[in-house]
Amino acid sequence: MFQLKWLWHNLIGDRIRYIIALLLSVVGSSLTIVNPYIGQRIVDTFIAGENASSNLASERALLIGLCLGMIGFSLLRTGLAYFTTILYERASQNMLFRVRVYLYNKIQGQDMKYYDHNRTGDLMTKMTGDLEMVRHSIAWIIKTIIESLTVFAAAVVYFFFIDVGLTLWLLLLSPPIFIVAFIFARRVRPMYMDLRERLSQLNTTTQENIAGNRVVKAFAREEYEVKKFTDKNVNYSEANKAAAMVWLDYFPYLETLAQAFNVILMLAGGVLVMNGRLTFGEFSAFSALIWGLSNPMRNIGIIINDIQRFFASLSKVIEVYYAHPDIVNEHKAAVKKRYRGRIQFDQVSFKYDNAMVLQDISFSVEPGETLAIMGATGAGKTTLINLIPRFYDVAKGRVLVDGTDVRKLELDELRGNIGVATQDVLLFSDTIDGNIAYGNPEMPEEDVVKFAGLAAAHGFIRKIPDGYDTIVGERGVGLSGGQKQRIALARAMAVQPPILILDDTTSAVDLETEEHIQKSLRELEFDCTKIIIAQRVSTTSQADRILILENGRVIETGSHAELLAKRGYYYDVFMLQTEGIGRQANAIG
Amino acid sequence: MARNKFDIDENLESPFNIRHFRRAIVYIKKQKTPMIVAFVLSALSAGIALSAPLIMQHVVDVTIPEKDTLSLVGWSAVTLATIVISVILATIRSRIMTRVGQDIIFEIRTDLFKHLQELPFQYYDDRPQGKILIRVVNYVNSVSDVLSNGIINFILEILNLLFIAAFMFAVDVKLSLVILAGLPVFIAVILLIKTRQRRAWQAVSNKSSNLNAYLQESISGIRVTQIFTREKRNEGIFTRLSVNYRSAWMKTMYLNFLVPFSVDNLTTMVTTAIFFVGLLAMGPEEATFGVILAMSSYASRFWQPILNLSNIYNSFVNSVAYLERIFETLDEPVTVSDVPKARELPPIQGSVSFDDVTFAYDPGLNILENLSFNVKAGESIALVGPTGAGKTTVVNLLSRFYNVTGGKILIDGHDISEVKLKSLRSQMGIMLQDSFIFSGTILDNIRYGKLDATEEEVIAAAKTVCADDFIREFEKGYLTEVNERGSKLSQGQRQLISFARTLLADPRILILDEATSSIDAQTERLLQKGLNELLKGRTSFIIAHRLSTVRNCDRILYVADRGVAESGSHDQLIAKQGRYYKLHTAQKMEA
Repeated sequence: MFQLKWLWHNLIGDRIRYIIALLLSVVGSSLTIVNPYIGQRIVDTFIAGENASSNLASERALLIGLCLGMIGFSLLRTGLAYFTTILYERASQNMLFRVRVYLYNKIQGQDMKYYDHNRTGDLMTKMTGDLEMVRHSIAWIIKTIIESLTVFAAAVVYFFFIDVGLTLWLLLLSPPIFIVAFIFARRVRPMYMDLRERLSQLNTTTQENIAGNRVVKAFAREEYEVKKFTDKNVNYSEANKAAAMVWLDYFPYLETLAQAFNVILMLAGGVLVMNGRLTFGEFSAFSALIWGLSNPMRNIGIIINDIQRFFASLSKVIEVYYAHPDIVNEHKAAVKKRYRGRIQFDQVSFKYDNAMVLQDISFSVEPGETLAIMGATGAGKTTLINLIPRFYDVAKGRVLVDGTDVRKLELDELRGNIGVATQDVLLFSDTIDGNIAYGNPEMPEEDVVKFAGLAAAHGFIRKIPDGYDTIVGERGVGLSGGQKQRIALARAMAVQPPILILDDTTSAVDLETEEHIQKSLRELEFDCTKIIIAQRVSTTSQADRILILENGRVIETGSHAELLAKRGYYYDVFMLQTEGIGRQANAIG
Repeated sequence: MARNKFDIDENLESPFNIRHFRRAIVYIKKQKTPMIVAFVLSALSAGIALSAPLIMQHVVDVTIPEKDTLSLVGWSAVTLATIVISVILATIRSRIMTRVGQDIIFEIRTDLFKHLQELPFQYYDDRPQGKILIRVVNYVNSVSDVLSNGIINFILEILNLLFIAAFMFAVDVKLSLVILAGLPVFIAVILLIKTRQRRAWQAVSNKSSNLNAYLQESISGIRVTQIFTREKRNEGIFTRLSVNYRSAWMKTMYLNFLVPFSVDNLTTMVTTAIFFVGLLAMGPEEATFGVILAMSSYASRFWQPILNLSNIYNSFVNSVAYLERIFETLDEPVTVSDVPKARELPPIQGSVSFDDVTFAYDPGLNILENLSFNVKAGESIALVGPTGAGKTTVVNLLSRFYNVTGGKILIDGHDISEVKLKSLRSQMGIMLQDSFIFSGTILDNIRYGKLDATEEEVIAAAKTVCADDFIREFEKGYLTEVNERGSKLSQGQRQLISFARTLLADPRILILDEATSSIDAQTERLLQKGLNELLKGRTSFIIAHRLSTVRNCDRILYVADRGVAESGSHDQLIAKQGRYYKLHTAQKMEA
């Protein structure tokens, strides 16, 4: 069975521990029969038996021995049970740990396309609730199955030795129990698939509400959010109830059948005793151990229930487990070499969901040059730069770095050579220091300060009471847009990459600050090719070359002066942005 | 600034007290009737189940020796009937309790979520989102059983215990005391591990919260991680967090399983003690064989409920660790809320005045000091100045996202701290720097500004902000599914959508915080035309760095040094040759 194989595969490293646990489970469940047996012997020999009084007088040692034996066995059995349970817990936690880290890496290794289609709340559900259910299968479901089977088998064997006929009568109950359990399993399975889907929706709604709390407040949409949440909450609650109700539809049959062992014993056993085919002693032996048949049968329902939950969760877990990104980072670079920084686009086209986003783009940037990209919203600027670190692969053409197609380069090496300050500034809930040193956590503090200075961030960081040790919230909450951008810029510069990509990184900083940043960029201590996406002429004017994108095509290319002379898109933008500043600006053009 | 990050445990401010449990009782009380019914059903079901051994006894002692086949069949039928009845009763009980359990956590979860909506930015800024999420979803799920079935079973087991104890004492007092002798040992064991167990479960809740926080951040920050090739290192951090969780969990397990271990052994010990004392120490005249036999079976029947109780206890200790977190969140003070006698803010004209406003996020560190200015209804105001000078703070105070530290803010003469928040914010349109997109269609995202907007209204708003063109280029147009993080939309497009959302709300006061920073100049020009129409008759506050955006505003406030350094129209400020002039010249030089 696939599911078992999967579990077995992921138990690697704990397989021996797990097998020992299973064996101890068998031993331990068999031991549960011993103490009642000793107790019975004490009662028979010293209390209820014919020679009880004389035995009590003559065989005190035996009594003491049996009692000590009982305590001994109890200590042994419970000690064993304690040890076994810990083994199960340990093995299941180890598996949980192993799979969780594996999935974490899987998630980290997915390409952007995957993230375009998977919601955070959904991934969170898989990594928490679903994995917990998978762990439960190892720690509880399989354990319970083995223990129930052992007790059941032991009881059946024991009963067979006493009386085959009565045992067969009792076993008559098993087939109907199995049939009911089977029907139940089939009916409840889709319910658990549904339940876990709704849990995932609840998670997503809550997660987005938390992430978007500022928007919620800005629009005073608290009531609407509560309503949206309540919908999901009701759905989830209803699904929970519905699944439980299906279980309760079958529970009465299973429970009645399981308890009916007592009735059959009474009736069939009673008749057999009356007929003299069974002695009273044999009958009471049956009745003392009848729980060995009924308890495992009682467990079947609960086991089936949990198995179905487990299946539902596992099917979600393996979606991540076996997800295969188109762009695979093998993390194989032994020695990461430093590139010179030559970038070339060779007739590149890119499609996203069947829509052409970039068409036939060709250009090249020499090491140390600065390329500026400008264009309308949605023209494909960010998409274009995303192709360089291979966040996406081209549909046609080639992207070359230092003359090699990026698809042939080792991803770690390639990305290690590129510093990107993204447009959507993502900071982590860590200290400012930790955020700037994100690319190289061992970076000395002086360097962090130096790069913060280059990004014009040192000034405001110094003014915060905790300075570089200030913890910024996720997404940098608590900082202004411009401040976040500058930290992201410092973070990108701090890796001292030969290729630096700035995606509209200074849109929210004021001009004085931007000027400072421009100067820093021109005077970087390391050789660096720069690609800068910008909307402001003030940012692009210094570039060696400017690329104008429109609807995924390059419509103009050249230096500031060349493009102004062309009197095309760039010229228009220039006019637009300078008309507010003074008429003499026209003269420059 | 934030106080907590993924690898810092959140320590509880107060030790656990019964108050937490009493608060849980509030939720349970609402389910009083079904719970009582369920309790009665359980008691009945248990009572009926008790008759089975008695019938068996009778059958063995009387029916079989008398070879009364008819009677045997009769008793078997009766037994079957008792089973059927007790199973039916138990099923009904379970049906009731499933609803009760679900309803209780439904309510707790709703209250928690509602409370979260009231909490100020500060709360969200202070901790990783994953730590909030886990409380609402996972923690609440964990307490369902204890708060419903746990309580009923607890009472049932206690009754059961008393019942058996009464029988026991009726048979033999001395031997009963022998059975009870195990209790002090049991209590000692519980007392010994209690504190450690509680601490261990708290550790589990902390470690899982940390793990969750890091996981969530890893997912939202994936692009940064990949570009900085931090995967290996993040794996290391995640591994460390997982190891911490695992060891916290194992620690609780070591303690937890001590409880059934000791109960099991105590049961055996008191049973053997009965044999010892009964058979050896007491003479046959004191304890007959029958008495000893009965007492030895009472010993295990007395300790069974104790075993069950200790299992309930274990899950209770576990749940308390989660309940504490839940109630801690519910206790989080709402700093920005309606004052007791808050009035509805009537439909406003839109005049705004800041009257001697002082504000500090952290005490003693004023961002704004004694800020005063007046804005007439319909005026457009640009806020310019160096990054971090407090421009966003000014508009955040106006929307009352934070309470002022000193002074007053008035809209149409109404102190905003005295009106209902909803009536205030629903008349303002705020476009934030961070343009958050909810997962759903583009249509839904724009409609967020006005929930009952027709499709035409949505499209009209999109047209005004020049978003209609690119939206239509998608295969599914307005019904294109977008999400929080996906790359289907560029940053500029996100801003346009969020812009349309704001306009759709048709606010009297419009606040644009770097609303167009990622939008190209061409689009911005087109936008400006539509915007000028829209700004007519509305009070607006515009934060922008591009002077081309701000020069059309009626008045420009240059925010610096914790206040307004310069104020006036573009021409006035240019004539003044002050800081705005300097900024303006800088931009000119750049160009």
